[in-house]
Amino acid sequence: MVSVANRRQFLLAGSALVAASGLGGLPAFAQDTRLRLVFWGSQARADRTYGVTDLYTGEHPGLAIEGEFLGWADYWPKLATQTAGGNAPDIMQMDYRYIGEYARRGTLAPLDQYVGAGLDIASIDEDQLHNGTIDGKLIGISLGVAAGAAVYNAKALADAGIEIDPMGWTYDDLKTKGAAFAESTGGAVALAPDGSGIELLFENWLRQQGKALYTAEGQPAFAAEDVTAWFKLWAELREARAIVSPDEQAIDVGKLETSPLVRGKAAMNFTTSNQLVAYQTLVPDPLGIAIYPATTTGSTGGHYRNSSQYFAISAGSAAPEQAVEFINFFVNSPEAAALLGVERGVPASSAMRAALAPSLDERSQQAVRYIDQLGAIAGPVPPTPPAAAGEIEVALKTKSQEVGFGMQSPEDAGPAFFDEVVATLARAA
Amino acid sequence: MAVQTAIATPAGQAQRPSVWSRIWQNDAPGYLFLLPWFIGFFGLTIGPMITSFYLSFTNFDLLQAPQWVGANNYIRMFTADPKFSASMRVTLFFVVFSVPLKLAFALAVAMLLNRGIKGLPMYRALFYLPSLLGASVAIAILWRQIFAGDGLVNKLLAMFGIIGPSWISNPNYSLWTLIILSIWQFGSPMIIFLAGLRQIPQDMYEAASLDGASKWRQFVKITLPLLTPVVFFNAIIQTIEAFKSFTPAFIISGGTGNPINSTLFYTLYLYQEAFGFFRMGYASALAWVLLALVGLFTAFSFLTSKYWVHYDD
Repeated sequence: MVSVANRRQFLLAGSALVAASGLGGLPAFAQDTRLRLVFWGSQARADRTYGVTDLYTGEHPGLAIEGEFLGWADYWPKLATQTAGGNAPDIMQMDYRYIGEYARRGTLAPLDQYVGAGLDIASIDEDQLHNGTIDGKLIGISLGVAAGAAVYNAKALADAGIEIDPMGWTYDDLKTKGAAFAESTGGAVALAPDGSGIELLFENWLRQQGKALYTAEGQPAFAAEDVTAWFKLWAELREARAIVSPDEQAIDVGKLETSPLVRGKAAMNFTTSNQLVAYQTLVPDPLGIAIYPATTTGSTGGHYRNSSQYFAISAGSAAPEQAVEFINFFVNSPEAAALLGVERGVPASSAMRAALAPSLDERSQQAVRYIDQLGAIAGPVPPTPPAAAGEIEVALKTKSQEVGFGMQSPEDAGPAFFDEVVATLARAA
Repeated sequence: MAVQTAIATPAGQAQRPSVWSRIWQNDAPGYLFLLPWFIGFFGLTIGPMITSFYLSFTNFDLLQAPQWVGANNYIRMFTADPKFSASMRVTLFFVVFSVPLKLAFALAVAMLLNRGIKGLPMYRALFYLPSLLGASVAIAILWRQIFAGDGLVNKLLAMFGIIGPSWISNPNYSLWTLIILSIWQFGSPMIIFLAGLRQIPQDMYEAASLDGASKWRQFVKITLPLLTPVVFFNAIIQTIEAFKSFTPAFIISGGTGNPINSTLFYTLYLYQEAFGFFRMGYASALAWVLLALVGLFTAFSFLTSKYWVHYDD
């Protein structure tokens, strides 16, 4: 006899299944609020961040914060996919290259209405608030101040008998001292990486000459000749053996571990000041921190005090008030500051900087001092970059490799790159 | 069996069930058991394919609703996208060199193993291992280490006084490094070749050697012709795999396709457009072009196969 479940039994079983799965998705207690928090970064950053979430939820019964962290490259695809699916996390870490893109598409909640009502910005630096303001609305709360910086192996330089002035060295120094350094190491280690493909460094060099990468309208604020001159400068440095070979530079895929500094191929890397602590964990020798080279002695305006990252709240968050309160705790409470240190950069709040100062280790203090000493060297913060900024950053790296491997001359590469920038910006607009 | 159950219904029953409810009663268990497959097929294959086809005619940045742009994405691809042609060149180069070399290598190893050596299962497993691991992230990272400037390969070369380049970061060699990685994953075609070789009747070889045919002649006149169906199958599968190749290039170049786009595989470019630059519509169009290309290639292979593939009949 063949036993066949009749229709009613089948439907019953089916609806029971649906009901069960629906129940499973509900929190155990209906009054609980769950906040989802995502960020990119290392395990060290996650440990510090989760320290703060644990502390906060411990003081706020009925609130749960689910944290998740990913590497930079995996973070953006996942966040974009979640946002597209209407499933964006409540609190997300944002980068200055992407915050404009997300904010202008209406996916991030403006925070102005919470200022003074859950969000205290009294002690947060003016320029950091400005950084997180898109089209007149406060979108992102800065989690740390960082600036472009050259991190160098102090022992390697001392061994080679080379000294640079951390707050005043120039591209000429890079050339002459780089050549001397290569001489003393027999060419095995170069003084610096090949920086021709590093967008931050190119921007710094442009700004020292009163130019910029982009205008506020999202147009290029430099000319094709500038790109040519930039590539020529690095061709000369390559010629002088002050920088690593194109082969060595191409291995660097933008992770700390693949950088010439960590791999022992260069005594320096062009990065940002908040990364000093992270590099020190990977390099056994003591590290120092210096500005990006100046075009001429005493040149200013290249650097700026950037926000290393922001927290922003999804426009679709079901609990924006609770999310704001948590962010407020994150950036304004001394307990949180003590747990976070300067891993995300120097706190944007002057009160937190003061609270933090005595407890910092030597390398963290060095990063804080660097930001302080920038003073007059730093210029104003540039406007939020256009939507295609990420793509153009990739294109500069590729073009720099074409010049490095001798497949295109600086004279041809300058106009070619400029045309690419114009075309990319036009398509993204 | 289901039909018999229906017939076996007592004839004297007052109310006969309707045709539909009978069909339902008979076939419901079948559909119930097929349900997971149906959900997967429609939800995860057909649905996304239709969506992707629609998106390929739109601008879709994942964050805002898609905007219809007609055939613009396809037009841009063929007229104004240097990276499209660059990635197509890289992929075709990879297919043209990696597939024949891999098949030749797989066949050679299969012939060696076919001689009935001791511990054959162990060798089979050992040679198959790279294929299992091949597309994994770990192997790509290992490959990166082996072929780096101060990696194993260059240390070996240094023993012979040769200063090797950094294979993965020099645009002249980086694609070849990926081709070698692909050849190294010869395990799955090898197993299929081995099975094919076992099907060839031994008496043919005996007859041939009695007639004084050399080993090479036996290979060309017996082995190869009888193996053509297997070669054909392997070539189709491996070519499709090669067109789809993604992970090794993604890992070795850190997702960039660099140096100088020399490892910018088509799928890697597609991924960059979709998730790097949020151009989901354009990426969908790229995906459909790839599907059409692979489809055309496969159709061409089937059409020409009758001239060189010999079935045993």
